[in-house]
This record gives sequence, C-alpha cells and structure tokens, in this order.
Amino acid sequence: MKKLKHILEECKAVAFVTYKEWSAYRTHSLVSVFVGPVYFIVQYFIWTAVYGDMGSLAGLELSETIRYFGASALIGYLTMDFADWNLQMLIRTGKFLTFTLRPMHHRFFALSQKIGHRVLGFFFEFLPCLLIFMLLFKVEIWPQQFGWTLLSVALAFLMNFYVNYCLGMTAFFLVKASGIRVVYQLFAQIFSGALIPLNFFPQILQKVMIFLPFQYTNYIPAMVWTGSEKIGVLGLSVPQAVLCQAAATLFMFLFSEVLYRCAMKQFTAVGA
Amino acid sequence: MKYIKIYSACVKTAFSQAAAYRADFIMGSFITLLSNILFPLVTILIYANGAEFPGWDMWEVLLIQSVYSMSTGISSMLLSSVVWVTMDHIRGGSFETVLLKPVSPLFFIMASNFDVQSIGLFLGGVIMAVIAAVHTGIGGLMDVVAFLLLFVAGLLVLCGMNLMMAAISFKWVGNSRIPEIFDSISTFGKYPLTIFPRAVQILSVLIIPVAVIGFFPASALLGRVDGKAFLSLIPCVLFLCLGIWLYNKMIRLYEGVGG
Amino acid sequence: MAIITVEDLVKSYKTYKRGSGFKETMKSFVKREEVEIKAVDHISFQIEKGSICGILGPNGAGKSTTIKMLCGALYPTSGKIDVMGFSPAKDRMKYVHQIGAVFGQKSQLIWDIPPVDSFAMNKAIYGIPDADYKKRLSEMAELFDIGEVMHKPTRVLSLGERMKCEFVMAMLHNPEIVFLDEPTIGLDVIAKAKIREVVSEMNRNGTTFILTTHDLEDVEQLAREVIVINHGKKVFDDNLQNLKSALGNKKIVNLSLAKPFKGEKVGDALVIPGSNDHEISLEVDLDKQNIRDFLDSLGGVLDFKDISIKELPMETIITRIYSE
Repeated sequence: MKKLKHILEECKAVAFVTYKEWSAYRTHSLVSVFVGPVYFIVQYFIWTAVYGDMGSLAGLELSETIRYFGASALIGYLTMDFADWNLQMLIRTGKFLTFTLRPMHHRFFALSQKIGHRVLGFFFEFLPCLLIFMLLFKVEIWPQQFGWTLLSVALAFLMNFYVNYCLGMTAFFLVKASGIRVVYQLFAQIFSGALIPLNFFPQILQKVMIFLPFQYTNYIPAMVWTGSEKIGVLGLSVPQAVLCQAAATLFMFLFSEVLYRCAMKQFTAVGA
Repeated sequence: MKYIKIYSACVKTAFSQAAAYRADFIMGSFITLLSNILFPLVTILIYANGAEFPGWDMWEVLLIQSVYSMSTGISSMLLSSVVWVTMDHIRGGSFETVLLKPVSPLFFIMASNFDVQSIGLFLGGVIMAVIAAVHTGIGGLMDVVAFLLLFVAGLLVLCGMNLMMAAISFKWVGNSRIPEIFDSISTFGKYPLTIFPRAVQILSVLIIPVAVIGFFPASALLGRVDGKAFLSLIPCVLFLCLGIWLYNKMIRLYEGVGG
Repeated sequence: MAIITVEDLVKSYKTYKRGSGFKETMKSFVKREEVEIKAVDHISFQIEKGSICGILGPNGAGKSTTIKMLCGALYPTSGKIDVMGFSPAKDRMKYVHQIGAVFGQKSQLIWDIPPVDSFAMNKAIYGIPDADYKKRLSEMAELFDIGEVMHKPTRVLSLGERMKCEFVMAMLHNPEIVFLDEPTIGLDVIAKAKIREVVSEMNRNGTTFILTTHDLEDVEQLAREVIVINHGKKVFDDNLQNLKSALGNKKIVNLSLAKPFKGEKVGDALVIPGSNDHEISLEVDLDKQNIRDFLDSLGGVLDFKDISIKELPMETIITRIYSE
C-alpha cells in the first residue's frame, strides 16, 4: 500500500514537472487548434463528394466516416508522444546514465512524462478541437459508448508509448537509430488508420495488420469511438476490439520489458 | 549576376555535402520518395472501392496530386529552408550573423540552405505525373504552355507562403509547428477544386491561391481549363509580394530591436 | 572504517578492429578481429568513511569507468566492489538511495523550468518526507547561496549557478556518499571556489565525497586521499601530503626570451626546452628555493619579454609517478 502510494507520488511529481516544462510552449498547441479543424474540413468535403449517392463505402456510412476522421484526430491529441525521440537523445548524449542513478525505472519516468505532456494536450488541443467539432461543425462526435471508448483510448495511449519506447531503445544497439524510426513512422502513417480507415485496404492487408502494432494506436480506438458494430476485417464488436487492443498492449509491454533487459545488459556492460 | 554566381556556388557545396554523406542522402531521399506514395494511396483506395471524385477519373486526380508533389518538391528544395533557418536563428538569437553578410538576407538564407534531399520529392512527383499523364493523355502544345505558366504561378504561391511562415516565426519564437499551418491550408490544392463548395473555391483561388499549386496546372495539362484560370495569376503575384514585404518588414523590425 | 572497498576490479571491453581502406573494411564485414581493451585493470583500494578522495588521471585513463562502476551504472567484468555493504550494480535500486552523483557534463535539471521544480520531482522519486525536504532545501539553498536563483528557469542561469543547483539536486536525499565527476569543469574561479567551499562544509557534516577531475587545484584544496589511475592501473594511492612530497613542491615558469638561452640550469631550476629557441620553461623546486627569490634573481640571468607561472601539469605528474 505504501509502495503504491509512493509510485503514485512519483508519477504525479514527474507528470507535474513535465506539464510545467511544456506549459512554456502551450501557445504552440494553438497550431493544432487551427490545423486539426482545417484537415477535418478537407476530409469532410472529400468524403461528402466521394460518397455521392452511395449509402455506404467499404462497410462505412458517410456519417460514420466523418465521425471516424474526427475521432482519429482527437485520439491523436490524446495519445501522441515523443518517447522514442527523448530516449534516443538521452542515450546518444550519455545522459541516460543519470537515470540509472535514480531509484526509478526510466520507462516509468518516461510514461509519467507522457501523462504530464498529454494532460497539457488534453486542455490545449483536445478540448478546443472537440468543442469546435461539436459546436461549430455540429458533428455528432461524442462517443457512442463512453466507457469502452475511454478504455480503448487509454490502451492506445499505452500502446503508442510502449511502441515508441521500444523504438527509442534501438539507440542502445545501433549508432544510427533514426532510420528505423523514420521508416516506422512512415508505416504507422499508412497503417494506423489516420490517413484512411483500414476498411478501404484489401482484405489480405487488413488481415496482416491484425498482427502488427499500427492499427491499435488509432484505427481500433477510432472505430470504438465511432461506435461501429463491425470493426475491422474480423467484424469485431466493441468489447471484442478492446480486448484485442488489451492483448496487443500487453504483448507490447512484455516486449518492451525484454528489450529493456537486453538494453540494460548492454548498457551496464559497455556503458554506451 | 553576382547573385547567380553565389547561388551556383552554394548549390555545388550542397551537392558535395550530400555526396560526402552518401548513405544518409540515399536513405533520406528514399524515405521522402516513399512518403510520397502515401498521398496518392488514399485516392487509389477510394477508386479501388468503387467510389470516385465526381467528374474525375482516378488518373486525372493522381495527375493533380503528382503536380502538387512536383511543386512542393521544388519549393522545399529552394525555399523551405527559409522557415527553418529563420526560426533557428531567431530562437538562438543569431540572426545578426545573417545580417552581417553583404547580400540580401533572404537571398543568403535561400542560397546557403539548398535542400538536396527534396529532389526525392520532386522526382517522385515527376514519375507519378508521367505515369498518370500516359493514362489520361494530354492536350496540345498550348495546353503544355498553359501548364508551365500555371505551374510557375503555383511556385510563387508556395514561395509567398514560406516567406509568411518565416515572418510569423519572428513573432512566434521557437514554434517549430508553424509550417503545419501552411501544410494544412495547401491541402485544398491537392484535390479537384470542383468538390468544394463555392465559398471554399473562391477562397482557394483568389485569397490564398492554393488551387494554383496542383489543381490548375494539372487541369491545364488535361485541356480542362478555361481562360478565367489565368486571372488567378494576379492573386499569385500579389501573394508573393505580400510574403516578401512581410518578411522584409520583420527583418527591419528585428534590426530595430536587435532581437 | 572503510565505506568503499574495491578488490581486484577489472573492466574490459571487446571491440572490433576496424581496418582503414576499402579492402580492410570489406574484410571486416566478413571476419572481424576482436580486440580486448582493459579500461580498468586489477585495481584495489579502500576509501574511509568521511573522507574526500580524489581520483586523478589523464583522459581515457579509466577513472570515469571506475566511478561508473562505483555508482552501479556499469557491471564489473571481475573483482569485487563493496559500498556500505551493497554490491552497486546488483543492488542498484536500493543502493542508489544512498548515493548522490553530479556529472559535470550531464545535467539532471530540466531545462525550461526552475530548479526548484526539478528538486520537487526528485523529492517524489526518492520519497523524501516533507519536513526533511523543507529543512534540507533551506539549508542547502543558504549554503550555496541560491535562494533566488533556484526560482528562475534553468535555461537563464549561468553555468556556475546551474552547477550549484546540480549539487543540491544530487544531495537533497541526504546521501552518505556523493560522486562528483569533473564537477568544476568550465566554471570560473569564483564558482569553483564556492563549490569547493560547500563540498568541504558538507564533508565536515559527515558526507563522503569521491571526485574525479583533471583540475589539480580541486584535489589540492579538497582531497585528503588521492588515487591516481593511468592506463587502467592504479599508480598511486596515498594521502595528498605524500603525493606532494613524492613529487616535490614544484612550479613551472614559462618564459618568452628576447635572446635564446642555451644551458641546462638557471640557478637550481631545471630548463625544459620549448617549441623554439625563444620559449623555455623552468621547473622550480620550492623546497629548495623561495619563488620570490628565484624571480628576483631571474632578471639578472635571462633577458625575457613575458613570463607566466603554472602548476606542474597533470601529464608530468602522472609520468613522474609512473616512472618511480
């Protein structure tokens, strides 16, 4: 119990400091408040034109697709992070050393940082955009199943973090880790579903995607948010989709743990 | 004349630098080329699912988008550095070093930061445009001339945009996300103008002429453009002038305060 | 009582030999030649509780590797380290509660916010009780004279102010041992003096300090024990007094001459030839003659345009110790 309290205290302190640190740049988030709605308007016109008189496309109705893009953008504000960039910087500059001398696991430190950073994102990116979508554009963006959506977004938050943390850890093993990150980001852009709902991809690709991390950070939570009854190529229900997400996140967590141990072995042996 | 000499010297340096880090350069260009594929992907998927942009077939839309890529490729080769370099100098308080040079500050920044890697973006656009044009077929010689004219006008718009963003960075210090604003607005130029409502069309032709970046030159090539399109050349020139004026004004302000 | 005991410590790395030239590089793709580098080579020492111990050595001598192993950030290849009953690398999580560390080149403060916020974060990480934290922070703030400074964003602080805050950050949890790696690097004279003063003060209250440096002044003014490491081997381990007497109390006088001087001695001082005929250095043994007397007599013997007086450089000291 005392340990749990200490962990919470640690998380709170680190999150708070990060919040404060980034507060200096909070006006930068105003860019999101402009850019987010502009992209949304573009999507709105594109898809309205594309649907024409068609009732549904790739299993989605027009209103669903539009809500999907809104949700996808909002989820982005809640779940994005720079864990990969931060970690590889710490490793490259040798500053990671100072973290091994503190009685706190660095991954937990980084996760707490992300929480602080995203709390800021919640207030300065997510909320304004949500309000613009709802009040100005009159889109029915409010999640259909609030509880499941919350859970799903939380899992996407963790998933994205563990994936990025693993990407950052590659810097322990490779001198030039930036290439891997860029390539990953490229694939993530295509296959996370932020560009276009995965329903539009060929069936076979959608099936392959089940076993890759990308869709769990954006497509699945956005579909859950939209309240779709048949999610993805398997036609999952909302609870099933969230369960899949949980499994993927757990797997990613375990993978990051294994990688962390290997990295520490390497670090304490060579002192990268 | 002096400026051309300086510029060609700078470009040569940029190329030899890129050659020195060959592996990085190839990797970087390859990645920009790949990320180029992203954006036609959506169009291809839309058509693959049996839908369409009303009145345009897939290759026509792809032609618009590849012309857009060519345009932004050239602009990021020649111009995008203005935003980044200005931003870095302002944040680091080192803009004086630019002002010390015996040439126009704007020219100096542009010349000394030629971005070789964006060639990937441009070439990707060219390849795609050729493939698309083979499928759509193009109009006569006059259409090609019209295309070139409108393409250059699109570059002027991009140039004006970059300058405005750079000018904003004088005031909004250290905000590395400024270019996103510009990316988002220019998205309107990547799609057939006809799908947008009248108000948006007017806005993207006359006020912020982003339609001239991709849509107009591509439709000129297809022979689908009427004389009125050339009226948009006026706002393009005005837009560029506004950008230059704003940037120079910011420099003068900076000189006055000293950062 | 020994607080740190190191026995037969070894740290070796394996790297691959890389050839130069195309042919060699291609060959190294297929078969790489392993080279073993011993960064630390069978070192043993003890450090007493409550002492200040300086670990000296030129760059790449192995002192950083040693201090990293003492902190628990590196596993030893072989040998034993015992710090307060802990084996640092194995019991890391428990062990790091008891130590503090300041790395001159690696800041722990957060750039955009005031140090006091970074301190508060460390308070939570180390689980320092409120009352202790307040008391200790006000003590240290006074000691370092950073009462106002610590409320300003880190990025606007001078290097000296920042370094003081690094010290506070590392010592808030009241560690028994504090490791300092090049703590005064890049600081001006006043900041250096302040930091040395505080280290002495904290030491009087019972904190043990281990510092690596190549600033001989740090050692002279702080350390009582000195360990010199070169090429991964311990070449000296005794108190400062003995180091000095082993070397003799010497100064180097650099001269720019108007006319070349050919001779082996000026008075009792040894002549070390410089880069050209007009530059020479004299090694003055202060046990044999007073520096003032020496300087008084110097003008009569030599015609010089410029003069500077320096401590014996670290490299000279190391080679001297090594050759003895």
